[in-house]
Amino acid sequence: MLLILVTVPATAAGVILVIPSSRPGAIKGTALLFATVGLAFSVMTFVAYDHAEAGFQFQRQWQWIESLGVTVHFGVDGISAIMVLLTGIVMFTGVVMSWSIEKRLKEYFFLFMILLTGVYGTFVSLDLFFLFFFYELAVLPMYLLIAVWGSTRKEYGALKLVLYLVGGSVLVWIALIAVYAEASLGTFNLLALQEVEFAKDFQNIFFPLFLIGFGVLAGLWPFHTWSPDGHAAAPTAVSMLHAGVLMKLGAYGIIRVGMTLFPEGVAHWQVLFISLATVNVVYGSLAAMAQRDLKYIVAYSSVAHMGLVLMGLATLERTGMSGAVLQMFSHGIMTALFFAVVGIIYDRTHTRDIDLLQGLSKRMGLAAVLFIFAGLTSLGMPGLSGFVAEVLVFVGAFRTFPVAGVFGVIAAMLTAVYILRLIAKVFYGPLDDRWQGIQDAARHEVFAGALLVIMLVLVGVYPTPFLDVINSGVDTLAAGLGVGE
Amino acid sequence: MIELEYVLFLSAVLFSLGLFGVLARRNAVMILLAIELMLNAVNINLVAFTVYLSPDLLVGIIFAIFIITVAAAELALALAIVLRLYRTRSSVNVDEVNLMRW
Amino acid sequence: MGMEWAWLLPAVCTGAFVVVAALGRWLPGRGSLLAIGAIGTAFVLFWFVMADVVGNGPGSFSRAWFDSGDLTVRLGMRVDKLAIVMLGLVSAVSLAVQVYSLRYMRGDPRFGWYFALHSLFAASMLALVLADNLLVFYITWELVGLGSYLLIGFWWERRSASEAAKKAFITTRIGDVALLIGILVLFKATGTFELSQIFAMAQAGEISQTTINLSTVLIFIGAAGKSAQFPFHVWLPDAMEGPTPVSALIHAATMVAAGVYLVARMAPLFVLAPGVLDLVAFIGLTTVFIGAALAMVQTDIKRILAYSTISQLGFMMLALGSLGFTAAIFHLLAHGFFKALLFLGAGSIIHAMHERQDIREMGGLRSRLPATWVAFVIAGLALAGIFPLSGFFSKDDVLFSVLDNRGVVWFAAGLIGSVLTALYVARLLYLVFLGEPRSQAAREAREAPLGMTLPVMALMAPAAGLGLLALAWGDYDGFGSFLVFLPFGSRPFEFHGAVFWPSLALAFSAFLMGLSMYRQTGGVAPALVRRRIPWLLTALDNKLYLDHVYQWTVDHVVLVGSRLVALFDRAVVNDAGVDATGRATRWSGLVLRYHETGLVSTYMLTIAVTAMVIVLIVITTG
Repeated sequence: MLLILVTVPATAAGVILVIPSSRPGAIKGTALLFATVGLAFSVMTFVAYDHAEAGFQFQRQWQWIESLGVTVHFGVDGISAIMVLLTGIVMFTGVVMSWSIEKRLKEYFFLFMILLTGVYGTFVSLDLFFLFFFYELAVLPMYLLIAVWGSTRKEYGALKLVLYLVGGSVLVWIALIAVYAEASLGTFNLLALQEVEFAKDFQNIFFPLFLIGFGVLAGLWPFHTWSPDGHAAAPTAVSMLHAGVLMKLGAYGIIRVGMTLFPEGVAHWQVLFISLATVNVVYGSLAAMAQRDLKYIVAYSSVAHMGLVLMGLATLERTGMSGAVLQMFSHGIMTALFFAVVGIIYDRTHTRDIDLLQGLSKRMGLAAVLFIFAGLTSLGMPGLSGFVAEVLVFVGAFRTFPVAGVFGVIAAMLTAVYILRLIAKVFYGPLDDRWQGIQDAARHEVFAGALLVIMLVLVGVYPTPFLDVINSGVDTLAAGLGVGE
Repeated sequence: MIELEYVLFLSAVLFSLGLFGVLARRNAVMILLAIELMLNAVNINLVAFTVYLSPDLLVGIIFAIFIITVAAAELALALAIVLRLYRTRSSVNVDEVNLMRW
Repeated sequence: MGMEWAWLLPAVCTGAFVVVAALGRWLPGRGSLLAIGAIGTAFVLFWFVMADVVGNGPGSFSRAWFDSGDLTVRLGMRVDKLAIVMLGLVSAVSLAVQVYSLRYMRGDPRFGWYFALHSLFAASMLALVLADNLLVFYITWELVGLGSYLLIGFWWERRSASEAAKKAFITTRIGDVALLIGILVLFKATGTFELSQIFAMAQAGEISQTTINLSTVLIFIGAAGKSAQFPFHVWLPDAMEGPTPVSALIHAATMVAAGVYLVARMAPLFVLAPGVLDLVAFIGLTTVFIGAALAMVQTDIKRILAYSTISQLGFMMLALGSLGFTAAIFHLLAHGFFKALLFLGAGSIIHAMHERQDIREMGGLRSRLPATWVAFVIAGLALAGIFPLSGFFSKDDVLFSVLDNRGVVWFAAGLIGSVLTALYVARLLYLVFLGEPRSQAAREAREAPLGMTLPVMALMAPAAGLGLLALAWGDYDGFGSFLVFLPFGSRPFEFHGAVFWPSLALAFSAFLMGLSMYRQTGGVAPALVRRRIPWLLTALDNKLYLDHVYQWTVDHVVLVGSRLVALFDRAVVNDAGVDATGRATRWSGLVLRYHETGLVSTYMLTIAVTAMVIVLIVITTG
C-alpha cells in the first residue's frame, strides 16, 4: 500500500509528461484523478493503521545496493500515518487550487507531482538513504516551481529557499554518513540503527547537525528567513504545499532521525532546543504583527506555529510531543487554508497589501468565512484543531519548562492581535470602490476550502481518532527517549 | 649503448623548447607545433624507460603509440579551429583572441 | 427527566447554530424560528433540571473527550444550585432577547446569521455555566468571547463596529491569557483540570499557598477581562456598536457576568487566598466609581448603560472580595434582568428615534413611549436600589457583606457608589423621558411594535419582583439559604437597620436630587460641576484618558516592538546574516575573475608555473 502511495504521484508525473501540452483539460484531469487516488490511499493508510498495535506497520522491503546496505524500506507508525493523511489532503486541495493556472501547465503539474513523490517518500521511508533521497526530491522542484510560476521577487525567494534547504541537507547528510560509519552495521536501515546505542559524546556532537539541518526546513530560528520570502514568492498551491507539508518534513526529520537515533543527544541539547523554539514562537508572532503583505503575515505566523511544534517536541514529554504532532497536522491544514484564501484574494485584486484591501467580505463572503476559520484556528479558538494541539503543547511545556509555556500562551494572544487586525482591515469595514467588481471564491475553491475547514472542525471537536494514532507513535518515541512509563 | 641520462636530457631539452614555444609564440600554428614538441618529448621518455628499464614489457611503447594517435586527432581538431579562427578574424594571433575572459 | 438531561440545554442550541448557520437561508424566517425554538426548549428544560436539583441535590456527569500521554481531558458537567441560577438567567434573558430581536432586526440582510450567532452564544454560555472542568470552562469561555466578537462586529461594514469587535476580543483575550496560565499553573500543581478534585486538594492543604495565590490572581485577571473590571473595562462601552439586543444579552446580562460567575465558582480556592480577595474587592470598588462617574457624563444612551453595567459589575466584584458570594450572585441575577430590560427599552427608544442614540436629542418621550417608560422606570429604580424592586434587595445584600467583612470605610465607599448610581439613573430618566422633546425625531417618536414590547413586559416581572426570592416564604428559606457557599453557612436575608436605612435614604434622596437638579438646569452635565471643577469633567469626558494610555501603549510599545523585531529580522538576520553571505561569495568572484584574461599564454603560464611548483614541492618533501 505504501509503495502505491509513493508511486501514485510519480506515475501522475509520468502520465502528465506524455500528455501533449495543448490539452490542458486532460492534464488537469489527470492531476485531479491521481490526487484523488492519492487522497484515498492516504485516508486508507490512516484508517487502516492499527493504533492499538502501534509500531511500524505495512512494512515492505526490497534490496537496492546490497554492498552498501541500502534498501527500499517502507513502513508507517502513528506519527507518519497522520502526516500521510495530511499530505493527501493538502495534495488534493492544492491540485484543486491550481485549477486557474495557465502558464506552462504541464510542467507545473509535473513538478508538483515530483514534489509530492518526495514528500510521501520521506514520510514512509524507513531507510535513511531513501529518506534523505526523497527529502531532497521534495526540496528541489521547489526552485523551479517558485522561480517560474511565482510572483514578487520570485528569483530571489526561490534561490534563497533552495540554498537554505540544501545547506540544511548538507548538515543532515554529514550526520547521516557519520551515523552510518559509527554504527558500522553496514546498513542505512533506521530500525536497525535505532537499536544501536551511540556513545554519548557522539550523540552530543551530531544531534545539533540534525536539529539545525532539519530545523532549517521547519523554520527554526534563526534559520527561518527563507520562509517569508519563499512563501511570498511561491504560487498559491506551492505555498499551501510548502507551508502545509514541507515544513512538517523538517519537524518529522527531527523526530524520526534526530530524536530516535540520539535520545541522549536531545536530552543534552534540550534547553537550547526549547529556547530556540520559544524564540520562534514569540519572534514569529511579533514579526507577523508588523507586516503589511498578507503572505508575509501568514508566513511569519507559520514560523510561530512551527515554533509551537518544536516547543512540544523539545519538552520530551508525551503530552507535549503528542501536541506537537497534532499541531503539525493542524497547522498543515490551517496554513494551507490560509494560503488558499490569500491566493484567491491575490487572484482577484492583484495585491496583497492589507492597507489597500478593505471590506472584502461584502464581495467575497465565502472567502472571508474560510479565512476567518483559518484565523480562528491559528489564534487557538476552541472547537478548532489548533486549540487541542496548543493545549497539549502548553501542558507539556508547563510540566517541564513553565517559562516556555507562559511565552507560548502570550504568543497565542499576540496571534489574536495580528489575525484580528488583519481580518478587521481586509474583510471588515466599508468596501473600497476599487474592489466593487471582484468575484467571490469560485465553486471549486470553496469546495477545497470547505474540505480543509471540515478537517479543522473535526479535529477540534473530536480529536480522539487522530490522537489515538499519534499517541501510539509518540509512546514509542517516548519509550526510546526513556520518558515513557 | 648510449646512457639513459643522455636520452632523458634530450627529452628535457625538447620539452623545454616546446614549453618556451607555447609561452612565447603568438601564432596559433606555432603554438600547436610547440605542443607537439612537448608530446614527443614525453614519447621519447616513455620509449626510453621501456627499453632501458623493462625491455620485456611493451607498456611504454604502447602508451607512446596511443599518444601519437591522440596527438594526431587533437592536431586535426586544433587546426580546424585555427582555420575557423583565420576565416573569421583573418589572423591567427592568439593575443587577439581574448573573448573568453571576465 | 431531570438534571442528567442538563447537557441538552447547550446541545439544542449548538444544534440550532449548526443548522441555522448552514441552512438558514432555506428555513422559514431564515432560521430565526428554529433558534428561538431551541432557546425556548432550553428554557423549558431548565425548569425540569431545577426541580430535580432542588429536590435531589447537585449532580455531576462527565465523559472522556480525548487523552494523550497520562493526560485525560474529560467533558465534565456539574449541575448545582449556582449553575441553576445562571441557567435560569441565561435561558430566560436569551429567550426574551431573541423574541425581541425578531422584530428589531427585521429586514437586516444577515437576519439568519444573527440568530445563528445568538444560538452559538447561548450554547456556549449555557455550557460555560455547567462546566465542571477548568479546560471545558476555558473552551466555553473562549467560545462565548467568539460569539461576542462576531455579534459586536455584526455590522462589520461600519469601521467603528469592526474596530470595537477587535478591541473587545483582544482586551478580553489579554485576560484569557492570564486565565489559561492560571489554569495551567493549577494543573501543574494538581495534575487535573477537574474542579472538584482541585478543591478537595486545596482544602486538604495539598496545594502550596504560593500556587493558590498565583493561580487565583491569574484567574481573577481573566475574570476582570471578561467582566470589564478596571483596567480592562475599556472594551465594554465600545462593544455597544453591536445591535442593541446583543448589548442587552451579552454585554449586560450574561457574558460580562461570566467573570463574576468564575470567581464565585472558584470560591473554595479564593477563600484560601485572603490577599487576593483584598485585590478583588479593591478592583471592584475602583470599577464601581469609574463606571458610575463615566456614566454621569456620557450622552449616548447605550454608553450610559454600558458604564452603568461596568459599575454594577464592580459591585459584584466588591461583594465577592468581601466574601459575599451569595450576595454577588444575587446581584448578578437581579442586574441581569433589570439591565436587560433597560437595554431592550433603550432599543425601543433607538428604534423610535430612527437610530439616534444621543440623549440630548431626546426628552419628553414619556407620553410617546408609555410602555417603554414604565419598563425604564421599573428597571431604573431597581438599578438605583429603590425599595421594593429587585435591585434594592441585591444591593443591600452586597452592602451588608461589605460592612460585615470589610468595615465601615469600605461600606461608606459602597454607599457613595450607590448614590452615584441613583444620580445617573435620575439624569437618564429625566433627559430621555421628561421635559420637552429636543428634536424632530423625539417629537415624532412612536411606541415600538408589540413584538418588541411583549418581551420587554415579560422582563418587567423579574426586574420588579425578584426581590421576593431573597425573602423566605413557605418551604423556601430565601436566596441566602438556597445558594450556600461552603465554608459559609446559609445566611437568610434580613433587613439590617445599619444597611437598610442609610442605603435606601441616600439612594432615594440622591435620585430626587438628581431629578430636581436636571429639572432646573436641563443641561446634560450639572452646571455646578461644570463651573467649579471643570478639570474633572474634562477628564471624565476623555474617559479618564485610559483609552489614550492604551492607544499610546499599543502604538508606541507593542507596535514599535513588533516593528523592531521585523526590522531585526530583515536587517540583521536576513540582510546581514543571509544576504551578506551571498554578497561575500559574489564579491570574491568579482575579484578573482580578473585572472581570466582570455589570453592563451596567461593560462599556459599559470599551468606551467603551477606544475613546476607542484614538482618542486614533491621533490623537496621527498
